[in-house]
Parts: sequence; structure tokens; C-alpha cells
Amino acid sequence: MSSYLQLSGINKTYGNFTALENVDLEVEKGEFVTFLGPSGSGKTTTLMLIAGFATPTRGTIDIEGASLAGLDPQDRNIGIVFQNYALFPHKTAAENVYFPLQMRDVKRLEGMRRADEMLDLVGLAGFSHRYPKELSGGQQQRVALARALVFEPDLLLLDEPLGALDKNLREQMQIEIKRIQKKLGVTTIFVTHDQTEAMSMSDRICVFSNGKIEQLGKPLDIYHRPKTKFVADFIGESNLIPARITDAANCKAQSNVLGDVTYGTQSGTELRDGQEVSLVIRPEHLKLSSKRLADRMSAGIEIETIVNYGDNALVIGTSESQQIRVRVPGADVVILNEGDKCFISWTQDDVFVVTD
Amino acid sequence: MNTFVRWLGYLFVIFIAAPLLVVVPMSFSTSSSLEFPPPGLSLQYYEKFFSDPAWLRPAWNSILIASATTILTMILVIPATFALVRHRFWGKGIANLMMMMPLAVPHIVMAVGYYSYFGELRLVHTHLGVILAHTCLSVPITFLVLSANLKGFDRTLEQAARSLGASPRRVFLHITLPILRPGLMISALFAFIQSFDETVVAIFISGRGAETLPRKMFDSIRQEADPVIAVVSTLLFVAVILGLLAPQIVKAVQSALGRSARNASE
Repeated sequence: MSSYLQLSGINKTYGNFTALENVDLEVEKGEFVTFLGPSGSGKTTTLMLIAGFATPTRGTIDIEGASLAGLDPQDRNIGIVFQNYALFPHKTAAENVYFPLQMRDVKRLEGMRRADEMLDLVGLAGFSHRYPKELSGGQQQRVALARALVFEPDLLLLDEPLGALDKNLREQMQIEIKRIQKKLGVTTIFVTHDQTEAMSMSDRICVFSNGKIEQLGKPLDIYHRPKTKFVADFIGESNLIPARITDAANCKAQSNVLGDVTYGTQSGTELRDGQEVSLVIRPEHLKLSSKRLADRMSAGIEIETIVNYGDNALVIGTSESQQIRVRVPGADVVILNEGDKCFISWTQDDVFVVTD
Repeated sequence: MNTFVRWLGYLFVIFIAAPLLVVVPMSFSTSSSLEFPPPGLSLQYYEKFFSDPAWLRPAWNSILIASATTILTMILVIPATFALVRHRFWGKGIANLMMMMPLAVPHIVMAVGYYSYFGELRLVHTHLGVILAHTCLSVPITFLVLSANLKGFDRTLEQAARSLGASPRRVFLHITLPILRPGLMISALFAFIQSFDETVVAIFISGRGAETLPRKMFDSIRQEADPVIAVVSTLLFVAVILGLLAPQIVKAVQSALGRSARNASE
């Protein structure tokens, strides 16, 4: 298999601290891959290793089969957008974008023309002569993007670039970055701890936890078929309910909270009878009703809190002192009261099993 | 604001500025000695200062010594600051302390030290001797200003420049140095002023050969109370004020030019 970017057996330790352990990853040309994880999970460390600002303790990184080992950051031809944009304050927007071309000995006239073209592409025509401090956060972001792309890098790395923007601008920039990335076809790695960002932008998501890759897959696969408790908990909202496998061959488990449960088939891990596992049910897959429904599995809960969001509501109930979260459409919530006793119900496909 | 506090403020300003209010009028005096208030106004002592080699030579010495001190100080302090701010190494604490030492030791103690040690090296009464001594005295303040600037420098700018294809040398020349330029200018200015104003060490070791302006003033006031001293004081004061205001003036001129350039391009 000839992947474009290949990380094999990457380890990185700082003294006694293991920042990365056996990271393997293959990225195709033109792909948009997101590194998702909480801070300290190793996603930024991996990015820094690819960029060349740190050296892996073990393992290799290749682009198109050629090793990056021993190449200084300036010789890797990788564009980076930093979290704080890192625009040069003493240079105008156009001069910032011209800088990588200047370093490649492109003449000023030609370089500034290309810088202006790139600023056009990111939607900043007419801002060439502004200094970074005269630009808004979103505009600075676009300059940083233009600067990282103007020299036609082999790889684009984005390190939490949207973290500093407010919500509306962030959504706008998500769409914008996707548009530009598609147009140029540049292979992109995007680092974030924001799961909605990861879901909406990526071709594939790589979930990091404690220096390891927990799961790698398409956004919806990861959402619907998390392999571990960590992924189920980190991506989207989940009810994680402790249970014990009673009959692995027939997908049966038993839980104090939900009673006897038949779970959907699920990928990967071998389960054996008697194994302690967690059952995952997304809050939007649970239904609330006043009576048990014949065609669905169900369990009784007592409603504790109702949080209204307008278009939908989050109902938090308890059963056997376990919190259960249920998403209901906004229109349905008016008949519910805190303290009501009712039933949650689900089907086999809504339940999947994860191990620790 | 509370009236009392305001008057306290005025009083404080007068207290600080009082010596100037006395010295500046005396420089325009007609009196043959230092006298306040001056009996009449004239420019005769300015004329005397600018025509008397006994005053012009020390003035030239001071400019020469201060310039050389500034250059030498910067050559020493820039690498030292990068090392002390950005790197961890054995003995860093001691090195830091040594840099700041001249600030803590009284100048008179330093002066006695230089006098006896430079005597053996035959550096007393030479320009080089004064330059070396003044450089030591300028190091702490220069280091303080520069290290504050360097600590505030965002190193991701350097990483960004590396990733965009710049070698470490080009990063330094194109990014680090230009961004630190204001801090470098200010610290160089402090080194210059420190040397230009320094009196105690100059009295001990500058001698006849490398006599500086403050030393000449000191000799002159002991011997004759020549009103030219008031002229020199006024000129020194004006020079220092101009030096301190230079960055603001430069900035104002630059932004005025930048604005007109932008207006022209639009």
C-alpha cells in the first residue's frame, strides 16, 4: 500500500514521561485527517514531530516514501498554521505571505504578485497592505492560512487554528478552510480538541488519548461505532452503563440499570461470557414514554432535571442511582415534569458495547 | 481627583525639577560666577563653551567613550541575554548574578578597584580604560531592558519562520532582530546615557588624557565655579531628553509617513 504520509512505530519520551507510544498512521494524498483528543493526549506532539520541531525517540515518518529523518523544519516543505497564527508583526499581510517565497529566492515582484493571488483566494483581497494588528482575528487566520499555502507545501498542518475565534466566526472558518483545502487538494492534518469541528471537517478522524491512537476512522463510523469507552465518551454525548456479558454468542448482556439487554453487533473486540463491559446508548437514540412499548426494550427512570435548548431538550433521569441522559425534540418536552416517573426505550441497534 | 492629592503631585514635580529650574536660568547668566537668580541674560557662556578647547575636548571624549561603550556593551550583552533567557545551563544563576553585580556595588568601590588594577595594566588615563570600566557599569541596565524584551518575544514566530523555509540564521536576521529592534535601540540608548553621565569612575581613571565632560565639570566647579558648567548641564539635559524621546519621535514620523503612503496608494 502506498500511502502519502506514513508514520510507523512512533515513540516519543521526555525523560520518564511517555508522550507518544507506538503511533502508526497512514494518510492518503489530498486527505483531510483530524487529530482529536484532550490536551496532553499527544496530538500536538505528533504534529511537532511531523513538522520537525522535535525528533521521535523511535519510529519513522515518510512522505511519498522518503524519510523526513534528519531534515530540518525549513527543508520539509510543510505549511503550518499555528494556534495564535504567529504572523510577523513587522510585516504587512502581503509581506507575511511573501515570506516563504522570499526564503525560496523568488523575486519580490513575482512573489508579491503570488502573495496577492493567495490573499484573493482566502478572501482577503484589498487587505495586502494592512499590518497584522490592523486585522481582526478571522482575517489574521486567513493570512496565516495563505502564508502556509502559498509555497505549495507537501502537507498542511493546522494546530487548533480556530480556538481563539468566537462561535459564528469559527463555523464560517470551518467551511472556508474546507473549501480552500478541497480547491488546492493539499493533504491536511488538523489538530483540535473540539469534536464538532472534527466531525464537520474531516475525511477521517484520529482520536488520541494518553499518547496513543484510540481509534481511527470516518467521522460517522467513530460516532456510531466507538471502539473504546474513551471514544464513546469523548465523541458526542453518551450514556455509559456498566454491564456484564451473559451470552456473547447471542449478544446478551445484563445490567443493574437496564436489566437484560440485547446489544447490536459490533466491530473488533472479542467478548467472552462474564466480561465486565460498558453499554453505550446515545441520548438521541433513547425514547421517553409513559408506558412500556411492546416492540422495544425499556427501563423505568425518574426525571431529575430538564434543560431546554429550544429546538430540543436534555432530560436527565436516574435509575438505580445511574444518570441517564435523553435528548427529546423541543415540542415533546412540554408534557414532562421534574419528578415524573416514566420509561426509556431503545432497540438492539442503539446499544453497542465498549471495553476499557 | 482629590485636590490635596493633586497639589501633592504638583509639589512633587517641582521638587524633582527644582535643580533644573535653577541650573537652566544660570546658563544664560551675565554674572561671572554661578549665581541665582541671574542678574542679567546673555549667551556669553554658550559662546565660551563652543569656542574653548578646554571644554570641547572633554565633550568629544565623552561622545567617543560613550559610543565605544555602547558598541562594546551590546556586543557582550546581546549573546549573553539570549543565553540567559533562552537556555538552561550549569551555573546560570551565578552568571545572572554576576551580570547584575555592578548595579549593587557602589561606584566608588568599583572606581577604587579600577584605579589600582588598571594602574598595573597601564590603562589609567586612557580612553580604553574608561571604555572598559563604563562597559561593566552599563551591562546590568542593558541586560535588564533586553531580557525583558526577549522574554516577551513569542517564539512561535521563529517556529513559523522555520516552517516557512528560513534557516536559523535567516530567522534571526529577518524575524528576531527586526522585532527586537525597539528593545535593542532602547537598551543601547541606556548604555550610552549611563556612560555619558558617569562621574565617579571617570574622576578616578579618566585623568587628563581621556577626561570626560562630567569630570571636567567636577574639576571646574572645585577650582573656579565657572558658569559654563550651567551651560554644559543644560546641554546634557537637553541631549538626554532628546535621546529618551527619540523612539516616540521616530514612531510619530513613521506613522505619519505610513499614513500618507497609504493615502497615496488608495
